[in-house]
Amino acid sequence: MTSFTQPQTRPGALAAKQRRFAYASLAPILIYLAVFSLFPIVWALVLGFFSYTPIRQGSWLLGLGGQNPFVGIDNYIELVTGNGKPAEVFRLAFGNTFIFTALVLPLNLVVTLPLAVMLESINERFKTLFRAIYFLPTISSSVALVIIWSYMYAPGWGLLSQMVKAVGLVPPKTWLQDPTAVYFGVPLAMLCVVVAHVWQDFGYNLVIFVAALQGIPQSLRDAARVDGATPWQEFWLVVVPLLRRTVLLTSVLTVISSLQVFVIFQLLTRGGPQNQTQTMLLSIYENAFRFANNLGLSAAMSMILFMLILVLTVIQFRLLRTEWEY
Amino acid sequence: MSNKLIGGLLAAALLVSACGSSTPAVDQPTAAPDAQPTEAAPGGEAIELRVWGHQAPAFNAANQAMFDEFQKQNPNVTIKYETFPWDVFIQTIQTSLPAGNTADVILIPGGYTCRYATGGQLLEVPADVVSLADAQSMFYAAPLGGQTCDGKLYGFPAEYNIEYGGAYVNPALFEAAGLTYPPQWSNWDAVVSDAKALTQVGSDDVMTVAGLHYTNSDQLFTYFLAGILEQGSDYFAEDGKHFNFNSPEAIATIQKLIDMAQTDKIVDPIIFNGESEWVGESFAQGHNGIGILGSWYVGDARIAYPDLSFDYVALPPLMGSTHKFASVGGWGYVVSQSTTQPDLAWKLAAFLGTDQTNVYNFNSTSATIPAMKAVAADPKLLEAAPHMAAVLPILDAGQYQGNLTDSDQLAYEIVYPTILNAIQGAMTAEEAANSIHDDANAMVDASN
Repeated sequence: MTSFTQPQTRPGALAAKQRRFAYASLAPILIYLAVFSLFPIVWALVLGFFSYTPIRQGSWLLGLGGQNPFVGIDNYIELVTGNGKPAEVFRLAFGNTFIFTALVLPLNLVVTLPLAVMLESINERFKTLFRAIYFLPTISSSVALVIIWSYMYAPGWGLLSQMVKAVGLVPPKTWLQDPTAVYFGVPLAMLCVVVAHVWQDFGYNLVIFVAALQGIPQSLRDAARVDGATPWQEFWLVVVPLLRRTVLLTSVLTVISSLQVFVIFQLLTRGGPQNQTQTMLLSIYENAFRFANNLGLSAAMSMILFMLILVLTVIQFRLLRTEWEY
Repeated sequence: MSNKLIGGLLAAALLVSACGSSTPAVDQPTAAPDAQPTEAAPGGEAIELRVWGHQAPAFNAANQAMFDEFQKQNPNVTIKYETFPWDVFIQTIQTSLPAGNTADVILIPGGYTCRYATGGQLLEVPADVVSLADAQSMFYAAPLGGQTCDGKLYGFPAEYNIEYGGAYVNPALFEAAGLTYPPQWSNWDAVVSDAKALTQVGSDDVMTVAGLHYTNSDQLFTYFLAGILEQGSDYFAEDGKHFNFNSPEAIATIQKLIDMAQTDKIVDPIIFNGESEWVGESFAQGHNGIGILGSWYVGDARIAYPDLSFDYVALPPLMGSTHKFASVGGWGYVVSQSTTQPDLAWKLAAFLGTDQTNVYNFNSTSATIPAMKAVAADPKLLEAAPHMAAVLPILDAGQYQGNLTDSDQLAYEIVYPTILNAIQGAMTAEEAANSIHDDANAMVDASN
């Protein structure tokens, strides 16, 4: 019989070694986070309090001060109440971003959840195939997507116009550029971008929902059936409640991604027509990199967007909180 | 202890990242602090010079030929030419120049030179390379203005950016409309008359061919300023910094731009504008009969659409009988403050920008209008680039646009969208002029 004994060490000595090992292991990721996540956030926060542009000479301290003076909360006041064009456009963009997110979220869920249920109900071979097909737009380049949708939305000869004509209807003169085309208070251009974005983005949520559906214990469904539930009742009263956490997750992810959509707006509409598709991120980009004088202002814009995402995420977590597991 | 260690790591990381992105304080704009003056290629030492430019096929072809020649003359010098798409290029110089991390020589848009020169991020041209007086006799005032800041010369204009005075015409569309080709318009009414004949609208009421496409962002901005100048007015206020954009001349110019779309119906500004049916591509696809765009597009069009049949013809003044216009200057060669080879960098910049043979080759290859007077006067140029005949006679009528505070913001966020709104029927000419006036002056005030 062999007996194993722990080596005799002072109490706490091993723990200290373990701690050192843990710190050494964590150091690279902490440094990475500090340099590439924490510093940019802190930098943006600081810049928001300065009238700053990198092309002006500031002080030795990161170019702050000097010709890039401290202005307190003036940038935020300007964004909320100012008469300058950037502030005016940003306020418009704030509303547009909300409209975009408010349209994308339900549309995405309405498309993905039933599709996921249908995918779950078909043969395993087809299931994989369709899952791949639906996920394809998600992994495609946004630029390629914009090229595809540009052909779809081209005025007159575009695919969508041709389809509308084929069924005997009159298509709009242009899908993306007519500022007078507004339906139910939403500009047509915005609706077009929403459709294109949902088409690109729904693959993510679909995969998540499929995984969640696979995680629901069969016994719960069987129990419902034994109790006489119809397929619709089984879906609505058993499956949907059990997907609440997944709905929370996909909602949060969709809201965050919707608030941060950039490429599709930049390439498809560039914020037009008449700023009807101008979003917060487009405004931040334009003021930071396209126009020369507003990096401090765009930093303030980015902090507002950051706070908005934070608040919406917290609200969503609270609204959709569950107190059970399965 | 754990908190201290983590805190220390974070602090160190922040310090490292902060130092890495600090903006260097620059006090000596004429020489890099650690510059090592060299005669070109001393002792055969291998030297690499980096040059940055934007991705334009015709520009790049012209530049590459000159780089090859320079390397032949300086065998120990290697030129690394890096090009970026327009948006990336602008962002790159905006972040890299202040950080002191750029190429030695940059082919920079005219309107951008002073922005960086006044921040101490570009070197002044040494007087022994070219003096300002010599440059003034060598180049046209408008493009040179783009490279001159507070009476100091910071670069050599490679071209004369002129979005005014010329237009692309499509012979097939003119023939189909029964119009004289090539057109020789004596006044703007004649242009509009031809444009009406060229305009085509489909059975579904969608305009398929714009007779005259003038509603692109650069064109609306250019012709707005030109219209004011042509009437003898100025767009600057008396202090030379604020703007006077609600003058009767400004309102009249906007009204004319509105009338061409709404009364003459030679363009549908909802379909044809800066975001949709961009004038160059639109013209190449036969979607406009007369496309107002700078002659610089000739080079790109020949590469992108080798079978495209077109001519570049002269346009009369928009608002009067005399040509007068403002120019952004044009692309020019500048030397970064951060170069470690300032002498060699200036030698290259001068080779590219002041050697008459090279300038001729650049302009004829890239189909850009010469900034150098001697090249513009060279009869061989018209043989190599006949399209330039449309605008060469009016080069003296151009003036540098001046310090517009932020020319991009003024053009693309204030003037263009507002005038487009007016042309699309959302506001009157007077409302548009007042809106531009207020927004532009608010921009100036915000920058102070």
